[in-house]
Amino acid sequence: MDQPIWLTFLVAFIFMNVLLVGMAYMTWYERKVLAAMQDRVGPNRTGPKGLLQPIADGIKLLGKEDLIPAHADKVVFYFAPLVVFVVAITRVAVIPFGNTITVFGHPVNLWVTDLNVGALFLLAFGSLGVYGIILGGYASANRYSLLGGLRSAAQVVSYEIILGLSLVGIFLLSSSLSIRTIMEQQMRDLTFALGPLTLTLPNWFILSQPLAFVIFFLAAVAETNRAPFDLPEAETELVSGFHTEYSAFRFSFYFLGEYINMIVVSLFAAVMFLGGIDGPGADRFWGMGILWLLLKVVLFLFFYIWLRGTLPRFRYDQLMGIAWKVLLPLVLVNILITALIRLIGNGQLSF
Amino acid sequence: MAWNVIFFYLLAAVSVLAAIGMVAAKNPVHSAIFLVLTLFNTAGIFVMLGAEFLAAAQVIVYAGAVLVLMLFFLMLVDPERLPERGGGHPVQRIVGPLLGVILFLEVAAAIANRAMFGSLGNATPENIAFVGGSTQAVGNLLFTQFLLPFEVVSLVLLIGVVGAIVLALPERLGERLGTISLGHPRGTDMALPEGPSTAAPITRADEKATAALESTREIILVRDPDLYTGVGSRKSDVGRE
Repeated sequence: MDQPIWLTFLVAFIFMNVLLVGMAYMTWYERKVLAAMQDRVGPNRTGPKGLLQPIADGIKLLGKEDLIPAHADKVVFYFAPLVVFVVAITRVAVIPFGNTITVFGHPVNLWVTDLNVGALFLLAFGSLGVYGIILGGYASANRYSLLGGLRSAAQVVSYEIILGLSLVGIFLLSSSLSIRTIMEQQMRDLTFALGPLTLTLPNWFILSQPLAFVIFFLAAVAETNRAPFDLPEAETELVSGFHTEYSAFRFSFYFLGEYINMIVVSLFAAVMFLGGIDGPGADRFWGMGILWLLLKVVLFLFFYIWLRGTLPRFRYDQLMGIAWKVLLPLVLVNILITALIRLIGNGQLSF
Repeated sequence: MAWNVIFFYLLAAVSVLAAIGMVAAKNPVHSAIFLVLTLFNTAGIFVMLGAEFLAAAQVIVYAGAVLVLMLFFLMLVDPERLPERGGGHPVQRIVGPLLGVILFLEVAAAIANRAMFGSLGNATPENIAFVGGSTQAVGNLLFTQFLLPFEVVSLVLLIGVVGAIVLALPERLGERLGTISLGHPRGTDMALPEGPSTAAPITRADEKATAALESTREIILVRDPDLYTGVGSRKSDVGRE
């Protein structure tokens, strides 16, 4: 790294704060959009258009009584929500928000780190997030929480496999696991030629890997325990699943951790499939790049909320059946086809 | 003090302490959590050695999947029913720690002596950078030189998966006691005939097994729980052998 460490820390600090504010206002966004879909208004009393609602919610949750069940495993009870929260925020460290810009004459990288296994880092920390769920269910000394935690962990682990496999097609096409490299490759041109007619589009991987994109998004929705895959934490099922016994701010760690996971996964999808900062004007001014990225993230978040507002939830065995019997074969077929096309393109496949 | 020395000692210290904690913990779930910590810090040490792919694979596979599955069954263990610490055959209780101490002394002597050398392999940093990174290097080796072990390992995993499915087949649901229900049996796409005659009969083996559970509630072993809406006595609707 050529950049001084304190500058990287500053950039990371800024990203983290933006993410936390974004997470808080994601709750506002969800309530407003869900309300619009359900033909009602949503929060509009706290501040103009309800914009102070997340702050009010935060104050309320801070002031609630913090209960710990008598037989709970106190240390694990304390740490489990923190695991979810911390692991989710750490994932932002590998997502690039732009290229190198010059601020007051100094070059500043608009990313925290460019690991050459960046995509695997995101998947690895996603796997670690399961511990928050499973240990939260265990530490509550409540059999409903335990069952909810086990169910949720089984769901997350299954869909995590599919999430990872859906990205293998991209890794095959880009020959790299580094997220910045994948994003840069999407800024090149993809030419469709049919005789004299040619169509030049940016090389966004949603065009070369449409099936993988759909599977990735479905797996992402299931991975973040969102509707319609939210049976483990639905209010009508097992009381409230693994976070039954968590009250006040501990519950908000789970709740906000879920929203951060949603934002991070949307960032991941935007960077891997939709080109990240790619868009008209991004190469001239760095702010446009960030704007395009945020637009794509908001699009995905809207999609998340749209799914929540529209579809009924899946029963647990239907959920697992979809993962193992439908999505897994599809994603393996996608890898096979991508590999074949890559070999044919390289001229390495001969019959 | 260089930063990487500090990081190494930090990671190593947490690894060792977590490993000790794993062995010393009374509660098996705490052991598993300590093992996760150890694996995570070992992955950090792998990163310091330049093997980032291996570190990510360790976290994804070991810490993220294998240990989660271990936690699944460890959580269902009743802590009061574990064998007590210090129990066991007297010979085991002495020879075990003795062998451990001998092993520790051997490793300490080898580290202190520093006279043991191996031969430098061909995975030097220049070679790895030439191939394009540790991921590419591992991939090249795995698909050319170690292809047969790779395929054999995938076969072993396949056998494991098939075995798990065979052991959990729905027809034997009635014979399982205390199964945690992870889904309604009617949700599976097996067409079971309706009617109380398809209830699994309670055999003498079941009675013997459930006698030890000291529960005062009725245990009804059925295939279709919806048919048994009333909590009646065991003798109705259920065949006996």
